[in-house]
Amino acid sequence: MSAAKASRKYHKWLMLFLGVQFVIWSVTGTYMVFFDIDYIHGDSMVMNHQTKVNTSTINYSLKSLTQQYPEATNLSVGSFIDKTVYRFSMNGEQYLVNASNGHLLSPLNEQNAIHAADHYYTGNGSVTHIELITANPPFELSKRVLPAWRVNFSDFGAPSLYISAQTGKLVTKRHQFWRIFDWMFRFHVMDYEGSEVDNSLLFWFTAFGLFASITGLILMYYRVFHNPLKKIFRTLTIKRSY
Amino acid sequence: MRWVRKIHKWVSIIIAIQFLLWLLSGLYFNVMDGSKASGRTYKSKQVHQVQYNLNQLLEPQLVLQKHDEVVELNTVELLGQPYYLLAHEKALYAHFVNRYSLVNALTGQLVAMDKTMANALAKQSYNGPGEIIESKLISNKLVDFPKQKNPSWQINFNDEINTSVYIEAGSGRIVGHSDDHKRLADIAFMLHFIDYDNVGGFNNIQNWLFAFFTLWLTLSGLIWTIELGIKGRYTP
Repeated sequence: MSAAKASRKYHKWLMLFLGVQFVIWSVTGTYMVFFDIDYIHGDSMVMNHQTKVNTSTINYSLKSLTQQYPEATNLSVGSFIDKTVYRFSMNGEQYLVNASNGHLLSPLNEQNAIHAADHYYTGNGSVTHIELITANPPFELSKRVLPAWRVNFSDFGAPSLYISAQTGKLVTKRHQFWRIFDWMFRFHVMDYEGSEVDNSLLFWFTAFGLFASITGLILMYYRVFHNPLKKIFRTLTIKRSY
Repeated sequence: MRWVRKIHKWVSIIIAIQFLLWLLSGLYFNVMDGSKASGRTYKSKQVHQVQYNLNQLLEPQLVLQKHDEVVELNTVELLGQPYYLLAHEKALYAHFVNRYSLVNALTGQLVAMDKTMANALAKQSYNGPGEIIESKLISNKLVDFPKQKNPSWQINFNDEINTSVYIEAGSGRIVGHSDDHKRLADIAFMLHFIDYDNVGGFNNIQNWLFAFFTLWLTLSGLIWTIELGIKGRYTP
């Protein structure tokens, strides 16, 4: 059997089984390269406020804080919407305290969560849904940031902002194009069991796919570049009509 | 359908080499050791316990009043010392452009990260057999971490895989480790993403063009296969 003949046979048969994955690779790959990754990550959905700490409003000192919360660590001073606040952790939980009067703002109530989400969100839509997630987060939310408020907005792309119920910070954001992107990636790397890129299904498809593609390359060579054989090959293929 | 075959043939010529590179680099991602490929071969996993007590630290209010306006003050521990990290400009992500001051949280002294401090931080993060042979502050794009947009110290070790540790100069944050394993993986990513400008991403014109042609190749192949099936050419 000539190289051309063998290649045609292998290419035809292998692609019968592998072809669908090649279509998936190209469709998912196209999606991922065409959508700007910063857009996918929802960077344009949120305002990166540069609210400066107003030191004159700090009436509650670190000294008072350490007296009230002796085991506090990881202190920070920043803003929550328009208030200057302390954030710290203690016994594995995080706390949000108003720096002007020492009032504890965490865990955030629903109204504060809506205020915060509105403050971070750049769209014009209104809040359609809010829920506090304390366990079993959806795929798009890391367990580490729980408890968190999920705030959905009415705009195009079903945007959601996630606000930490403990720190009042924006922990993550999602819209439909990111959710689709995640699915595209999983199909691209054939991750059907949550095992990521190093799964054996992907290995065998890629390995055989590589072989099938090389046979395709050989066919291309004969059909396009290999002039002396081109005629013979063509007559052969027409007779057998592929 | 003659045109399906024509498309399949001519498009395959255009993308042949990139198509093979995608498969080869994809196969590499599948079999590579993820830990090595991300430069963690000699990255210390040691977690540093907080050794200071908050009530020893200066009042943040006093520190804030002495410096430029601040978006956020954070307590960080570097080499066993507590610091206040003042973010004057805070981006959405740490690797985007940020502007920091680092202040000793016990004395209030402003600290500029010098070579000695960067070396010590790098050593703390490193658990390999090498010694430091070179340290330099890089303000341009880091070849090993193209997405990092802040000036960083590059500390090179003389181990067998040429480890470089990167420390962000403004904050003392470990940007990451790189070594010959990661650099090889980076080449595979460059080929897969057609990212010859080393942007660290895949949203580029080359990809758009190749993706477009690849769609034609796979869809024409799919139609061809279906056609062969209908014509009964899949009998062994």
